[in-house]
Amino acid sequence: MSMSLTGVRRSSAVSARVLGLVAAALSACATGFGADCPPHSLTAAETVTRLKGLDTAAQSEMQQHQYAEAVRDYREASCLAPDSAPIFYGLGVAEAASGDFLAARKSLAVADRLQPSNVLPLAMLVRVNFSLGDTESLKATLREAARRFPQDGNLHAGLAQFLVQNKLFDLALAESLRAQRASGANAGSVMELAVLENTVGAYEDAIRNAAAVERQAGLPDGVRASAAGVAGLSYESTGRREEAIAHLRDAIHLDPLQENSYLALAFLFEKAQRYGDAVNILHEGRRKLPGSFALLLPLGSDLVRAEQYQAAIEVLRDLLRQSPDELEAYLRIADAYRKTGRPEQEAGILQDLAQRKPEYPMIHLLIARAMLNPDRADYAKVLDELSLAEKSAPSDADVLYLRGKVYAAMSRYEEAAAALEHAIELNPMDPSPYYQLALVYKKLGKAEQARQALGRMQVVKQNGAGPETRGVN
Amino acid sequence: MTRRQLLLLSGAGAILPSALTASEPQNLSYPLREVQGTLTPPERFFVRDHFREPQLSLETWQLQIEGRVAHPYHLSFSDLLELPAKKVEAVLECSGNAANGSAASNGVWEGVPISYLLEPAGIDRESALLAFEGADAGRLFQDSAPLAYAQLVPLEKCLDASSLVAFKLNDLYLPRRNGFPARALFPGWYAMDSVKWVRRIVVLNAGDRQSAFYQSGMDRVYNRVVRTDEGQKITRLSAIQVKSVVAWPSDKMNLPAGRHLVWGFAWTGTGAIREVVLSVDGGMTWIPAQVQSSPDPFRWVRWSYTWTASPGDYVLMSRASDSQGNQQPVQRDKTRKDVYELNWCAPLQCSVR
Repeated sequence: MSMSLTGVRRSSAVSARVLGLVAAALSACATGFGADCPPHSLTAAETVTRLKGLDTAAQSEMQQHQYAEAVRDYREASCLAPDSAPIFYGLGVAEAASGDFLAARKSLAVADRLQPSNVLPLAMLVRVNFSLGDTESLKATLREAARRFPQDGNLHAGLAQFLVQNKLFDLALAESLRAQRASGANAGSVMELAVLENTVGAYEDAIRNAAAVERQAGLPDGVRASAAGVAGLSYESTGRREEAIAHLRDAIHLDPLQENSYLALAFLFEKAQRYGDAVNILHEGRRKLPGSFALLLPLGSDLVRAEQYQAAIEVLRDLLRQSPDELEAYLRIADAYRKTGRPEQEAGILQDLAQRKPEYPMIHLLIARAMLNPDRADYAKVLDELSLAEKSAPSDADVLYLRGKVYAAMSRYEEAAAALEHAIELNPMDPSPYYQLALVYKKLGKAEQARQALGRMQVVKQNGAGPETRGVN
Repeated sequence: MTRRQLLLLSGAGAILPSALTASEPQNLSYPLREVQGTLTPPERFFVRDHFREPQLSLETWQLQIEGRVAHPYHLSFSDLLELPAKKVEAVLECSGNAANGSAASNGVWEGVPISYLLEPAGIDRESALLAFEGADAGRLFQDSAPLAYAQLVPLEKCLDASSLVAFKLNDLYLPRRNGFPARALFPGWYAMDSVKWVRRIVVLNAGDRQSAFYQSGMDRVYNRVVRTDEGQKITRLSAIQVKSVVAWPSDKMNLPAGRHLVWGFAWTGTGAIREVVLSVDGGMTWIPAQVQSSPDPFRWVRWSYTWTASPGDYVLMSRASDSQGNQQPVQRDKTRKDVYELNWCAPLQCSVR
């Protein structure tokens, strides 16, 4: 389990205070030691010398990552100075660094008890409890830190940062809010809070905090641009799209090299179905960031939506040349081919996808559909694709429907009827198979059954389109 | 039906015929057939507001705990997040939800047990009730004071380990309209007690009259009004009555002859769902349905029945019973004078051709 050694580095400051605590150690010489400490016969002067030596050695060992040796030396030191908070803190840090988190927790708790005015043991306990995966103890430590150091903005901001890094976002939010309430909140921690608030849905808070950072002319443009981006996204979440767009444009203006701003603004345009605007902003992004890779897929997708199919195909083909694992790009290209009436190319790109990712959901159904479109379809190959589709989805009504259509086209009417009846059984509220079935029954000379199938199609259609008519089986 | 219409129609409304003047409430619900699996997505949770939704800030939100306690105190949102939390899957249903209505939703709630919040306050031995007050406020009736939304909940229910001050739903923070940043949650009880946007908990003795609750007129609604020989008996609503609904097909739907999966949900506030049965002939005969999810307390179960439908006209009804021996009534109790606990088996017409 990895752990931040920020606290370990801080331990160098501890040694300066060791000597100041020697007096406490000396008094302990007369009164005895902890249960794990062997008795010793050092004089007071010898104890001081020994402590200095142990502390120096332990620190050197820590720097050389010799944690077991550091633990050993700090343990001996803790026996000589059992009332020394810095020694127990050093011991806890060394134990944590060596991976003995349970021992570290005990030592840090002693350090905290001995010197409750110091934030370091609690801050380190947070890290140790995280490493132990002990969320409840972690929360208890955070509560204790809040109780004793409510105004220490740096402490709470630091804890928030640690918790964000370790993806404990709820607790990070809690600490970020504490940092904000305390005096020490800086632009960085305010931004972190704004991001968290936007994430949890406190959009007005996020807008207020992010906009405050955005307005600070003295801050680097990159920071202000990020703030404008967060404000924009929060505005979007509150339904104020024009403000959202304005803030994201500000973000681009402040720092034209942040690709996220282009992506976010394009996303807003997509939501508003302003695909031309989305294309324009992504083109602008590509001009500013010609090497940007992340802009290509949204640009290609938006070009398809904006009905600029040939440009879309070129952009997406360019993307696939650079990154053939961008699976969505294959589908977007297929879409563009379909919409420009090029079924062979559509089937071809889908086959490329199947080759790259054979288990891609329903890929063989998509290929089969594409292959059915040409005037002279190779039905045997379509059936092969449908067989592959059935392997991954044995009871899929769409596969059976398509199989029924193919059989019908091949004049294999009995098989077509069976497939279509099965499709209807799986999804009785889809009108399409009834119609096909009626045609098949007619070919088979079953006029009454054909009439019934058409009648049932009408029954299904009477419910109108909408979720209530969705297939449920 | 909006909350306002509901109140006007209720027995309590008859007691107090004055017009309501609450600000425009949100009144949202979504067809249950849109729920996949058993959890209602947060954006599809039903909403029944009394007043305008308050705009709350995480940075200033506080929960006061006061009243008959030795140590009144308040919590910030940070405090709430850093307290021991637990998750409870529970259905919430509006007490005025129609018999086949969709003002019911099921989710996994996360929050801090109310019992844990009460501990440091040190409640009085005589305490019997807790008043929960939301940050939403307004006039419930024309003749009542403009006050915060408030409900009284017996201490025993509050001390139940599943009763929470909740801040998450299905692992996401509460949507604003469902009580962001925090709400009370009383699994197994009708939703009006699960006060949204909670900001104050007041511990009360049995004789205390919490002002917002009484002065707002809240004591005059959410009551079970039963006609008796002596007149009428009024009792406060609490536990959700056993209920099931057919989610698919919809009422007055035309189905083609063939096999169809009829399905829906069932829930109860007392114990767990034991059985769901379905009738396609208006309640003359009943067929056991398959319960598809585990019938634990508080959560709803999804049930289904594969129906081979021949041409004809049908009346579908589902009926649930729970582990406490309660069974969904086939019809509304005719002695009821209120419009709550509408849990009878709602008939649903279906034409098969």
